[in-house]
This record gives sequence, C-alpha cells and structure tokens, in this order.
Amino acid sequence: MTVAVHGVGTSHFGRQPHRDLVALAADAVQEAFLDAGTDDIDAVWVGTVFGPPGVAQRVLRAMGVTGIPVVTVENACASGTTAFAEAHEAVRTGRHGRVLALGLEQMSTAFAGAITPEPTDPEGRSGLALPALYAMAAARYLHLGLATPEQLAAVSVKNHAHALHNPRAQYSGRHTVAEVLASRMIADPLTLLQCCPTSDGAAAAVLAPATGGAREVTVRGVALRSGAPWNHRSPHVWGHDLVRRTAMDAFAAAELLDATDVDVAEVHDAFTIGEIVTTEALGFVAPGDGGKAAAAGVTALGGVLPVNPSGGLLSRGHPLGATGLAQLAEIVWQLRGEARGRQVEGARLGLVETMGGGVSVLDGNSCVVAVLEAP
Amino acid sequence: MSQPSTVDPRPRVEQGPDGRYRVEGIRCPSCGEVAAFAWPRCPACRSGVGPASFGPDGTVWSSTVVRIPVPGRTPPYVLAYVDLDDGPRVLAHVTGPGAPIGGRVRLAPPSADGDVTVEVLA
Repeated sequence: MTVAVHGVGTSHFGRQPHRDLVALAADAVQEAFLDAGTDDIDAVWVGTVFGPPGVAQRVLRAMGVTGIPVVTVENACASGTTAFAEAHEAVRTGRHGRVLALGLEQMSTAFAGAITPEPTDPEGRSGLALPALYAMAAARYLHLGLATPEQLAAVSVKNHAHALHNPRAQYSGRHTVAEVLASRMIADPLTLLQCCPTSDGAAAAVLAPATGGAREVTVRGVALRSGAPWNHRSPHVWGHDLVRRTAMDAFAAAELLDATDVDVAEVHDAFTIGEIVTTEALGFVAPGDGGKAAAAGVTALGGVLPVNPSGGLLSRGHPLGATGLAQLAEIVWQLRGEARGRQVEGARLGLVETMGGGVSVLDGNSCVVAVLEAP
Repeated sequence: MSQPSTVDPRPRVEQGPDGRYRVEGIRCPSCGEVAAFAWPRCPACRSGVGPASFGPDGTVWSSTVVRIPVPGRTPPYVLAYVDLDDGPRVLAHVTGPGAPIGGRVRLAPPSADGDVTVEVLA
C-alpha cells in the first residue's frame, strides 16, 4: 500500500524553557490535524531522547488522544524520523489506517549548555562531547585535503541565510565565512557557528494511505538502519557508511536510480562537516566534493540541489526527538509549494536524512532516509 | 543522561611484564574484527571471540581539542582516535598540546580517573 503524508505541523524552535512539552506538542499536533483535515487517528509513534518517562501519553492526553496504541521510540537524533518510519510501516502494512508521528524534545531545561556526554558509553565517559565526534571527522577531512576551513564555514553561511526565510527558525543571519571562522572554537576545527544550538520544539505528521489528494505528499521509500562497527578498517569518516547504506535501501524502495534526481533535501547538519559528508554519502555530489558544492552554491537555494532550505539543524535548531519530523514538515511544505520565501521552485522529489550519534564503535546510533514525492 | 554505574565502560589498559601498556580487548577468529572491549561476541559477525591485547603503539587517525565545559573535566583537553597497531581504533586522551594526524603515539599509564591515555612519539 502506498502511504502519503496528509498533514504536518511544528512548534516554534528555540530555547523555550517557559513552555512545557504539553504546549510545544500541542502546537505541532493541532497544526498537523488541521493540515490533514482530521484528528481521527488509530495510533501514535513518538520520538524523544531525553524523555521524561511517560511524556508521550502526558502530552497526548491534553489533546484528547487517549485509549489508542502509543509507542515511544528512542534512536538518538534520528528518534523523530524513526517514529515516522515506523508509522509509515504501520500504514503500509495495513496494521493501522491513520497514524500520527510526533517528535518532541526540551533541551533547555535538561542541560545547562551542550548535551552532557553519556557516562555509560565508553567514549562519552572519556569526555567525547558530540561536537568533538564531528570535529574528528572535520579534522580528518582537512588533513586529507577533502575540505578547507572556508568550505566548512560555507555550510554555516548558507544555512543561516536560508533561515532568514523561516519564521520558526531559532537563528538566522547573513554571516560571512570570516565571521563563522572567527566565532569561538568549540572543538578544533569546529567553531560555534558551525554547531547546532540547544533547542526546544515539537513536530508532527499524519500518515494514511495515499488517495491521490491534491495536498498529499507520497512517501516513495523510507529506510532505517543502525550503525555497523566503525574502525581502522573503515574507508570513510564516522557516519558516512551508515548514511550510504541507509540511502541505498531507501533509494531501492523508492525505485530512485539517480540521487541527483532529488530536487530538495533536509539533511543532518548538526555540525557543518555533517552536511558535507552526508551530501557525499547520499550521492548528491562526488566523493570529496561536498565542501566545494557548499562553497559554490550548488546546495544553496537557487542552486542545482538545495540542501536544508529550512536553515537545517544549524539554524532552525536541533531539539533531538523533534528534528526528524521538522525536516519532514519542511520537505512536505516544499513539495506542496508552500515554503514561501525559501521555496525551491518546481520541487517534485524531496529527501529527508537524519543521523543519530553517540554510540562508541558504531558509525552511528541510527540513520533514517526517506524519499517523498509532490502531489 | 544516566548516572555512571560502578562498572567503568572505558577500555581496560594493563601494564605488561615488559613495562608497556596494552588495551585488553577481543579478536574474532572468524572475521578478524577487533575491539577494545570484553564483549561476548564479535560486533561485526556475531561469532564467539577470544581475548586479545593491543598496543602499545598506534597511529593517530584524527584528533581534536575540546574547548567546552564537560562535567568533571577542565577544558581544553586533547582527544585522539588512535588506530593501535594490528588492533582497534580507540579514543584516547593525549598528553601534550596536540596529536598530529598520522603521527605515532604510545599507550601511557591511564589517567587517575581511568582515561585511556597516549603520548606522542618523537
């Protein structure tokens, strides 16, 4: 059975400690219900990382969503897209008729600053903050001549400029490469403006069988994988191979022969190097060309293959569990032609990619890639 | 975020009779995979594994300097992914100001807190 996204909704993204998850989720769910033209759903999948326990039922009861199956999933930064992938599967197989996928996270009240490394993980216990994990990849790219500091910074410049047209984004701005490189060093070579912020937010989608409706965005294919061992035998930096393998699965499901047929993409740019590696792993650009593409405007609005028109995680913000569904909402708006000042004209095929990190030895906790098609 | 359990998840480093430090891990007899942890099965192929020691020398795959506050630590501190010779890639703290990529390093005594630590070889 072919599945379509019938409605999407999101909260605002940013530090919102004065609002609770009930309020943030209500923004997303009510907008998604309104967008779908119905609140008649049979089950809910919820993605969140830092909980707290019972949060899904706690936020859903406030909207009268009670008495139906509610399943909470956690796959690090890919939790929201994992909820989407499972909701899709529930509809595709006929297990449920109409399903809500919801992602939510409140980071500002959970951490004083950046995410605290997980002490039960060997590398977390060793002090490997998440920026440092990505910094290792960035340093390796610089060492091998696969990118320059200026190309890394170009990703930040591009995505902050994109966010100028996204009223729900946490940050936006017209930065220069020099400003990005001059911002405070976080983990060499990544500077502050190359790192996603601490964010609160929620995002939701209503999935049901495709009926050919004028506002339905069809799910062509979606894939989910967890990481495989990443070590001295791996040819690529952390994360690349997991994105690549997951993308191959998704492209096969979508019967997509050429990745560059994608018109618009939202990918996991928690750090600038992440977008560069991901555009290469997805096959949007040749290996080693991700940085050049960002600097040359290939992946900017108006370019050949715009990436992160929403501003991405770098600018929209990164409330972990909400991120995947926020990415999905952006692609749905793009494919319906409703993205206003950041619209990719004539976009027919869209892609969402989310990458979860933070598990030693593996090249990622989980990755989800989805290919979607305009009505 | 969880509280640390009483079991330290970091690789175990032991000093051998030759005075050198080595990481105590596993090697898979089936596919050759190595890991710096005493896991019951191979993370790549699920076969049963045997104990193995790695080091003391290795090559820096990449490195960074962490400059943000992390609980219990004082920034800045240098971290490196080190490919131990004939062994796994391990995350190590580096004594000294940095660790050039491709440079040779040697396992040093673990820190008082239990961090795997390497020193840069001249």
